[in-house]
Amino acid sequence: MKISVMADILEANDRIAAANKEVFGKHRNLVINLMSSPGAGKTTLLERTGEAVRDKLRLGVIAGDIETTRDSERLERYQLPVVQLTTGTACHLDANMIASALPHLDLSRIDILVIENVGNLVCPAEFRVGEDFKVVILSVTEGDEKPLKYPLMFRQSALLLINKVDLLEHTNFNLEEARANARRVNPDLEMMDVSCTTGQGIEAWISWLNQRYQRKFGNLKRA
Amino acid sequence: MSIAQSILDIAIAAAEKESAQRITRVNVVAGQLRGIVPLQFTFYFGLLAENTIAGGAYLNLEITPIRGRCRQCEETFTVEEYRYICPKCQGEDIQTVGGTELRLKDIEVE
Repeated sequence: MKISVMADILEANDRIAAANKEVFGKHRNLVINLMSSPGAGKTTLLERTGEAVRDKLRLGVIAGDIETTRDSERLERYQLPVVQLTTGTACHLDANMIASALPHLDLSRIDILVIENVGNLVCPAEFRVGEDFKVVILSVTEGDEKPLKYPLMFRQSALLLINKVDLLEHTNFNLEEARANARRVNPDLEMMDVSCTTGQGIEAWISWLNQRYQRKFGNLKRA
Repeated sequence: MSIAQSILDIAIAAAEKESAQRITRVNVVAGQLRGIVPLQFTFYFGLLAENTIAGGAYLNLEITPIRGRCRQCEETFTVEEYRYICPKCQGEDIQTVGGTELRLKDIEVE
């Protein structure tokens, strides 16, 4: 016997993501789902961002990691509100995990909430968590063909940060090729070159965040 | 892997609703943009299904192509090798209209 099901496999997740998004909207949080492969520089980017925005906007972080709490320890040094989620075996964060983290954050005191996903270019792209934008980091030590190998990740992101550009001369990474590949899978993708080591591009990244915030909520709220 | 688990959960719930004893086949439609690797995926599914009523069930994966719609001339076409260029007017402003779906279509039960 055949049973027709026609169920969207991610529907349960998407429902929770929509509920998260409503909570974020109420608190005027711009939410970024930050994704990359392991070691591309997610945590370092957040450290640099935390330093740079200190008095200008209030950053909060939900950090996902399979096992350790090292990322949140690094970020707490910058006096950022951080919630660490250890996912166990899961290779990504899903909407339900994010919902479980929310009671541990004072969202009313956060302007921009960055969800630092588990390092992985595949599964995190599948699961909405209630974000406004997905941002993907690709570092020049990885390879310029990555956008073609992991199309969903690059297709769903609004912004691509090409990190570690200070190392370009030591790699065979072709910046133009990487940009062209990314554009092939997502013509609307914005791109920026950054180096978390030298600070190149950090200001541009922060003004991108600011602009997105203002486009959504108007001027920053002040406590 | 959690996608394989979600499929299994939905399939078992649907089978139990019809009081079926065993699931023999699961038909899934996945868009190409989902980047699902069939061999790996069916392997995970098989592992997770062990000791459930879906143990040994055949997972059939239908991969659907990426479809684009040109915002300039409205032409709808299949996007090959991620070339988001309209074959009719060469426009590059292409909206994705297919290739991201992920659906459990139906199951066969005994």
